[in-house]
Amino acid sequence: MTCILFERQLSSYLDGELPAARAARLEAHLRRCPHCRAELEAMGGIADHIRAASREMQVSQDFDQRVLRAMGYWQVTGRPIAQPRMLKPLLVVAAILLAITGAVRYYLSQPYRPPMPAPRGAALVAPASPGGTVVPERERR
Amino acid sequence: MEEAVRHDALALERRLAAAGDVELVAACAEGIPEAFRELLSRYRRSAVGLAYQMLGNMEDAEDVAQEAFVRVFVAIPRFRGQAAFSTWLYRIVTNLCLGDRRRRRRTVDLEAVREPRAADNPAGCVTDGLLAGQILAEMAVELRVILLLREQEGLSYRDIAEALDLPLGTVRSRLSKARMTFRRLWNEALQSGEEQQ
Repeated sequence: MTCILFERQLSSYLDGELPAARAARLEAHLRRCPHCRAELEAMGGIADHIRAASREMQVSQDFDQRVLRAMGYWQVTGRPIAQPRMLKPLLVVAAILLAITGAVRYYLSQPYRPPMPAPRGAALVAPASPGGTVVPERERR
Repeated sequence: MEEAVRHDALALERRLAAAGDVELVAACAEGIPEAFRELLSRYRRSAVGLAYQMLGNMEDAEDVAQEAFVRVFVAIPRFRGQAAFSTWLYRIVTNLCLGDRRRRRRTVDLEAVREPRAADNPAGCVTDGLLAGQILAEMAVELRVILLLREQEGLSYRDIAEALDLPLGTVRSRLSKARMTFRRLWNEALQSGEEQQ
């Protein structure tokens, strides 16, 4: 067997999860293969690197309070508390709806202003002319 | 009277601190809020850490961990103890993280992960932790989560299979692949660092 095939067994061997017969074959290979021995040792060090990555992380000091608040909210309402990331898009949608409603209400609240009389002889666009044709003012009278 | 109440509270706190997870879960189910606080304090860092390494963003990680704890709190009276409490919690965190990633339909923004970590280290020296964090962020999420559950949380193969709802053989092969990928990326990062010097 080549090193590549043995390398695939190193992880299970490291965790004591390799069946005895295969573990014995791997151990025989490890005795004569410095590359696989080094690989096994390096693999054993991964846990330290990953724990070091977690040590870089800081949990917010108010995390517990936030969880307890969310639990209290659940107890009262039976619903999970809205997450801030859900609130933001909801607020944007609410703002857009408010703006549209405001604009419509403003438009409807404006008193109707009839069009200013055009100078004599000028053509007007008939408001309800079925053919969409322009009717001169004197003809409409 | 006040003194007696304080004394009782301290005694309860000590008893809970010495209790195992199974006892704490039972106390939670009986409605003792201090038992949940004890579980929260035991697993806060693990839950947030797991979510952080999966999502690459602390704000999202804390939101997910918060939601996971609330779900645990709500479901605890129905928890039968088939799995360890930690396995159950990690399963919820993992599922929430995967759901969160699917919902956003994007992978972790590697630069977003790298920038704040690099900024924390103005001297420019990359510590083991920083490098490991960057490598984890580069790995496929299926490999990353299995590596974190094994190497960071120390779960057994059986517990990982339970937490991720995977067959034992898949856990074995995926963990092997995850470790080999981590090793390859680690070596590449070290070599590229040496070349830059």
